[in-house]
Amino acid sequence: MIRLSNVSKTYRTDKVETLALKDVDLHVKKGEFVAMMGPSGCGKSTLLNVIGLLDRPGQGSVEVEGIPITRYRDKQVANLRNSTFGFIFQSFHLIPDLRVIDNVELPLLYRKMGAGERRRLARQALEKVGLSARMDHYPNQLSGGQQQRVAIARAIVGEPQVLLADEPTGNLDSKMGEEVMDILLKLNEEGTTVVMVTHDEREARRTNRIVRVFDGQLVA
Amino acid sequence: MFRNYLLTAWKVFMRRKLFTAINLLCIVLTLVVLMVFASLLETAFRPSGVEGKSDRFLQVYMVHMESPNGAGRMNTPPGFKLIDKYLKPMPGVERVAAVTLPTSVSVYQDRNVSELKMRRADADYWKVLDFRLLAGRLPTAQDDAAGRMIAVLNATSARRLFPGAPKAALGQRIDVGGQVFEVVGVVEDAMHLNAYADIWAPISTFPTSDYRNQLTGMFSALVLAERAADLPRIREQVARIARGVVHDDPKQWPKIRFWADSKLDLFSRILTFNEDQPDSGAGKVLAGIAVAMLVFMLLPALNLVNLNTGRIMERRSEIGVRKAFGATSSQLAVQLVIENVLLCLAGGLIALAATAGVLAWLESADLIPYLQVDLNLAVFGWGMLIATVFGLLSGVLPAWKMSRLDPVHALKGAI
Repeated sequence: MIRLSNVSKTYRTDKVETLALKDVDLHVKKGEFVAMMGPSGCGKSTLLNVIGLLDRPGQGSVEVEGIPITRYRDKQVANLRNSTFGFIFQSFHLIPDLRVIDNVELPLLYRKMGAGERRRLARQALEKVGLSARMDHYPNQLSGGQQQRVAIARAIVGEPQVLLADEPTGNLDSKMGEEVMDILLKLNEEGTTVVMVTHDEREARRTNRIVRVFDGQLVA
Repeated sequence: MFRNYLLTAWKVFMRRKLFTAINLLCIVLTLVVLMVFASLLETAFRPSGVEGKSDRFLQVYMVHMESPNGAGRMNTPPGFKLIDKYLKPMPGVERVAAVTLPTSVSVYQDRNVSELKMRRADADYWKVLDFRLLAGRLPTAQDDAAGRMIAVLNATSARRLFPGAPKAALGQRIDVGGQVFEVVGVVEDAMHLNAYADIWAPISTFPTSDYRNQLTGMFSALVLAERAADLPRIREQVARIARGVVHDDPKQWPKIRFWADSKLDLFSRILTFNEDQPDSGAGKVLAGIAVAMLVFMLLPALNLVNLNTGRIMERRSEIGVRKAFGATSSQLAVQLVIENVLLCLAGGLIALAATAGVLAWLESADLIPYLQVDLNLAVFGWGMLIATVFGLLSGVLPAWKMSRLDPVHALKGAI
């Protein structure tokens, strides 16, 4: 599904050069649930961003379904992100001014789709995460767990093949975290590939595979 | 998509009401100044009201004379002789009117003295201009030929001298500097270049006939063409006539030039001191006005660029999310520009209402006597165009800058 070959990434500022990833080779298979673990600052999020095409590698190549995207232009990358990936962030990143249903519809705005169809799919996604009764609420009217479920609905509304979750339970208590984890596992069972960054060993053990990152490199 | 842009714009505006209000105030103040200015220009130069035929008449307002070798120069209004002898016989025009420039006169009435602006005009004047007659009649060629001591008042002066309806002034007598006139007509007030006055009398009512022999003096000529398309030919004709005019003292003033100008040309000629050449400088004046308006818009636009950049920076996390879910830089730039243009259009609508208020105040405050200026469709169109340009000017740069934010950094809340 996704193949990273010899990927390196360096962040440069005027004075400092930080090596975030070094010679990373990773293959995420279709239908897998991969957990990425490692200490803070080891490069997990950078790796997730490179997989999700939010960040471009300095060196190496990224292939999505066998197609190298290194030379893709901004618009092509945006289209690929829209059609293939769904993102779940630790701090939810819901747009506070928009209602829940409008937040969930957001990825569909960038597709050729009528307003009615968008609304139908957004409702469907909210039903999947058990929040159809909250669609007219605003994010600040929801609990943290509910907000993360809205974020999951937003991530899956476009039926992406891959879900990328960056510490999705990091800001939640254990019960809410458990609920979110259950939803992700269910989505994976239904065929969605999931790549999740986590610090929680217990959550990681529930996935198919654990990838450990240390100092920008994958370790066994 | 557009509905979503509107929805987002509305939410963004409502999120920071004070910020939106400051933005709107900045836009409204700029647009009000521009639109009041545009309305005044429109009223001054477009054919309207009493000067409704100004698209097919030209005026000769000034005679430029030069002494030998250009050592001495003089600009002076034409005299009646120049109009009567050289311009009136001109072929290919509908008519040529002669009228004096407005001068202050004292009107005596029992123990009251009123200071009014008076013109003396021939009968053609009343046919070139479209005065709205409120009562009585306008002077005719017969009145002029017979030297009848009759006068026409404007509505304000008629009301001032003879309180009541305009009809109350008819048949009344007024003493203007020792000359007694019978009021035969009352016309609506008019604030236009050739129409502004309080009282009019026939030219032949001058106390002496000296004016008939004066090449320069205190007149202006209005040359009415049959069609607007004739104006370029008439300009050339007048310039040719001017070259053939011989001054009463040809040794002192061997060179005489004058031009038939539209109102814009006349204004430009005075402004650019182009009295000695055919080009009135209108092109330069219009370019100057356009540049001044652009600069006037640019300064608040730069301020708005700053305000917008600040506002958009607050939304970098949203920009990051939108990018993550497939928005392209151009889609985001369009969204941000649309938000700004919408704000400016809203400002434009408020500014239109405010401009109407300012113009109504200008009319009632009597800063410019008899001013009648309306917000017409052309000004409305210009106003909305200015608002859109203003929105684009102040929105494109921050939108472009913000749309290029790296999504990872934007999601982290950094630039």
